[in-house]
Amino acid sequence: MGLPNAIGDLSTEVEVEAFRRLFPLRFYEKHLSESIRPDARPLGRARDTTIALGAVASANGSALAKIGSTTMLAAIKMEVMTPSMETPDEGCIAIDFHMPPICSPIVRPGRPAEAAPVVSKQLSDTILSSGMINLKELSLVSGKAAWMAYLDIYCLDADGALFDTALLSAVAAFSHLDIPEVSLNDDGKIVLLSEEQEGMSDRESVNKEKRKVTLSSVPFSLTCILHKNYILADPTAEEESIMETLVTVVLDSSSQLVSLYKPGGPVLAYTSAIQDCIALTRQRAKELQKILDEAISGMEVD
Amino acid sequence: MEYVSPEGLRLDGRRPMEMRQLRAEIGTVAKADGSAVFEMGNTKVIAAVYGPREVQNRSQQISDQALVRCEYSMANFSTGDRLRKPKGDRRSTEISLVIRQTMEACILTHLMPRSQIDIFVQVLQADGGTRSACINAATLALADAGIPMRDIVTSCSAGYLNSAPLLDLNYIEDSAGGPDVTVAILPKLDKVTLLQMDAKLPVDIFENVMGLAIEGCKAVSNYIKEVLLGNTKQLEYRRGL
Repeated sequence: MGLPNAIGDLSTEVEVEAFRRLFPLRFYEKHLSESIRPDARPLGRARDTTIALGAVASANGSALAKIGSTTMLAAIKMEVMTPSMETPDEGCIAIDFHMPPICSPIVRPGRPAEAAPVVSKQLSDTILSSGMINLKELSLVSGKAAWMAYLDIYCLDADGALFDTALLSAVAAFSHLDIPEVSLNDDGKIVLLSEEQEGMSDRESVNKEKRKVTLSSVPFSLTCILHKNYILADPTAEEESIMETLVTVVLDSSSQLVSLYKPGGPVLAYTSAIQDCIALTRQRAKELQKILDEAISGMEVD
Repeated sequence: MEYVSPEGLRLDGRRPMEMRQLRAEIGTVAKADGSAVFEMGNTKVIAAVYGPREVQNRSQQISDQALVRCEYSMANFSTGDRLRKPKGDRRSTEISLVIRQTMEACILTHLMPRSQIDIFVQVLQADGGTRSACINAATLALADAGIPMRDIVTSCSAGYLNSAPLLDLNYIEDSAGGPDVTVAILPKLDKVTLLQMDAKLPVDIFENVMGLAIEGCKAVSNYIKEVLLGNTKQLEYRRGL
């Protein structure tokens, strides 16, 4: 056959980098047949993950999460608002995901990235449905005042696994969140207590002290790529662009399934492949829980 | 309100001629051709440069030089109150234009015809002097990307409050309503590329304040040169030279 031989011959003559650009799929398959990837990771291993809490000093809660080169900065700002009629004793969380043009060469100013609203919606659904935050904790005065938490996540470097990193940074930002002290002043309005007013006892304090939000069932996720019989965990941007079938599994800290997302793709998965993905996610969730706990205890020591 | 106490200390404990602490880091965005983070006190800015690359909009292609584009945007959480419209508003558009024209003056665009250089600046924390921090970050990012320039561009701001010229205003001093002079210079060529001022100021005091801002720019340029040299030494070690 003409064509395979021609490529075979070329592969011995052309340099590695050129081969990688010209025949990306064959380049990857040569690695996958030896159960390794070009960055020397085994197929089931995720990249190095780090979390830094309190990255943005002006926000009420913030975190910077990095998985490999993918970097996300999440920050939470709290504002007081009136709760809706249907849920008078619940607060609200607004989640927004941004991909500014600095993160990737394919994002153009004026033309937002395709991935941004998709990840934004996914994140919103996952965080709200996982029940990580009890909205009743965000209430101040039933029917009159409640907290609105604005969570903004900025992608500073997009190198694959955007949803995983974004979810990790959101969870870390919530665990770092300090709800500010407020009190009800004479006009019936909620007023932020600044440091000078802490001694005053004539004002009824609605929020006694800076408190943390209790997080139950923290969600952790892992994105895997399916290609023929291989399952690659935590893809880079290059891998995502060549092999397009992605499966994202979100588990919570008690290993219950929160969300499963497979948006089409050329590879059809058997149930066994999905179960393998879930097993990989379970392992990854334990790793991420450890990393998050270390980051939190690191902050408390200070 | 007293911006300079009788002992000569400002609200954050600095002397009138003292700059805030500078911190810079190169190569922070792996995907970009060049990137840098620049901090001036609490103002933190990240800049990324993509280019020279093919012009995305063929009709804008210039046959004998490179097209320089710049976008400035602020993160929602960068200021005290959450921003509703982080870009596309008048201030962001104006600053984008200012940064573009400042950098265009020093990039040797005739060496890269029919190509495009994109400079993106994102403000992560804003505490006054964001314009200057953006220009400094853009300079570092362009140097990291290896784009040929006439000279580095450094910028600093200065103001005049309580009858004292103050260097490097923070947000509180900036919103006090006094004059705010922003200067950007090419330090080695000793030329001014950007000069902006608002509010009224007598001409002799203006010369004083502008001189102070230029001193600030020179201090920033010394720091930037140190950072760039340190980066080059690192690259040398890695290549075993």
